Amino acid sequence: MAGGKAVATAIGNILEIPVYDYELLSQAAVESGLSHELFKRSDETRRVLNLGNIFGANRYSQSSIGSGINDSELFNIQCGVIRRIAESGSAIFVGRAADYVLRDMRCLNVFVSSPDETRIKRTCEQEGVDAETAAKLIARADRQRANFYNYYSFRNWGEAANYHLCVNSSLLGVEGTARMIIDFGKQAGLIG
Amino acid sequence: MAAAGGAPLELGTKKIGTLLKEYAVPSIIASTASSLYNMVDSIFIGHIPGDGPMAISGLAITFPLMNLSSALGTLVGVGAATMISVYLGQKNYSTASKVLANVLSLNTIIGVIFSVLSLCFLDPILRFFGASDVTLPFARDYMTIILIGNVITHLYFGLNSLLRASGKPKLAMGLTIFTVTSNAILDPIFIYVLGLGIKGAAIATVLCQAVALVYTMVFFLDKKNFLHFPKGVFALDWRIAKESMAVGMGPFLMNAASCIVTMFINQQLGHYGGDLAIGAYGIINRINFLFIMIVMGLNHGMQPIAGYNYGARQFARVRQVFTLTARCALVVSTVSFLISELCPSAVVSIFTSDEELRSLAVHGLRIMNCMVAPVGFAMVTGNFFQCLGMVKKSIFLSLSRQLIFLVPLLYILPLFFEQTGVWISFAVADVISTAMAAVMLAQLFKKFRLIEAGADPSILGSQL
Repeated sequence: MAGGKAVATAIGNILEIPVYDYELLSQAAVESGLSHELFKRSDETRRVLNLGNIFGANRYSQSSIGSGINDSELFNIQCGVIRRIAESGSAIFVGRAADYVLRDMRCLNVFVSSPDETRIKRTCEQEGVDAETAAKLIARADRQRANFYNYYSFRNWGEAANYHLCVNSSLLGVEGTARMIIDFGKQAGLIG
Repeated sequence: MAAAGGAPLELGTKKIGTLLKEYAVPSIIASTASSLYNMVDSIFIGHIPGDGPMAISGLAITFPLMNLSSALGTLVGVGAATMISVYLGQKNYSTASKVLANVLSLNTIIGVIFSVLSLCFLDPILRFFGASDVTLPFARDYMTIILIGNVITHLYFGLNSLLRASGKPKLAMGLTIFTVTSNAILDPIFIYVLGLGIKGAAIATVLCQAVALVYTMVFFLDKKNFLHFPKGVFALDWRIAKESMAVGMGPFLMNAASCIVTMFINQQLGHYGGDLAIGAYGIINRINFLFIMIVMGLNHGMQPIAGYNYGARQFARVRQVFTLTARCALVVSTVSFLISELCPSAVVSIFTSDEELRSLAVHGLRIMNCMVAPVGFAMVTGNFFQCLGMVKKSIFLSLSRQLIFLVPLLYILPLFFEQTGVWISFAVADVISTAMAAVMLAQLFKKFRLIEAGADPSILGSQL
């Protein structure tokens, strides 16, 4: 909605490297032998008040690493996939706290934003909803992303210090922003 | 992938029986250990010369307050353990250590507030929970010491669950076994030899936990461990507090609910049967708790296996693990039924030698547990729905036995049958909840068959 996915796709096209977003989930799902649906759940959402915990029944199973399937377990599997892809060659990851997951590797971390009006307009076009609904959708998506990112990384989502570059995609447009990021990455020695 | 890759795969392929043994046995040991702890205390308190029956009644009065205290302990502990395992999985040791430090600060703050408030209003609280002039001194003596040591208890349990989360389950279990056995050794010394009575039991409890806590602290102070206390002030981090409590709120509410139900039970028993009836419930509660904890252990073991295979759409394996767990649980609850009906006197005698209390407890045990045999099935079914992400159904089933039907019955049946009515309430609640579990399970399995025959999985209606 802020154009992050579109910009990433554009960069991927120009540099001819793969972009991982939703496909990443499928790959993780297949590799760990789980069904696709299970991974949809961990797609950047995290239940804040986990009612599944209400019985105190998870006290033993959930707290031991690698013993069961819960949200954090799924996150760990996802991280493993992200790291393996990154180790095997150049790639672009959209979201999923990839900047944190790959914090010890050589990579360019970019945060793409755009003004509310632009985001609302784009969401209206893409989802076919009115402006009010679009604003709600955007607010909810942002909240979920912040929740996911902040919980797993213990950083603050969207905080400039986490990234090498924070850019407003509405000024140069998708293609222009993509070229600018590539240029920046090359000069910084993080691309190529 | 090394950290996460191995376990899930084996959940989808290994033999169900082997898996259940691997996952259930450790949690059964852990959960029965904690119930043995309480049982041992009750046994020694019940045999205090002269005061035994009233002391055990006084102890039963404190159950709701004890529940509330441990509920507050889980409020921070469960969520923090989850967070720590996330950060350790990410090798984010500095954040994990920060969570550890916050567990220490938060538990201390909550523990101190709870202690101070409860100590200030101890007598009115215990009166409200059903204490009489005779039982109040015992309940007060016991609870005063427990409340003074409350911070130690909170920290011990909080840090113990973090030991498990940080990959030291054996050390955590070792410490649990240490507290259980040393408590069993110190109890008779403090209660009888030093003549401290019910106070002695409380002192032994706090002392054993203090020793285990010191050992845990030394472990977490060691810089060689990935997870250790950071240097400097243990400043509270608002985000850690919020996140850990959000996860812990569920278990907290469940424990708080059981605190309220125990209060209702004690009040009704006090009203219709007096102090000794409360004491009888105290004994029965300890006996039943042991069986419940075994089934809970089985449930913990089933969770990852059922959850994984459901996610992998391997319904045959899901059904298999359910059937096996339910069968084991049925054996446990049937044993509980047989003991209650065939030799209740023998079990009750472990707790008291007083003739009047014994006959009350035997009478109660017989009636209360006359329908307990299928309850193992009902408990596993409730947990099964939780594994499959059908949380509302699961909560409904669990609450139906312990709250929704039980509480109204507790107030209606005694109108007709007096004290016996209180005991019958449990049996009736067991029957209703088991019947509902059976109906809900039959519906679920019918859907499984439809899906296997080619229907759309969305009829399950769960978001996984």
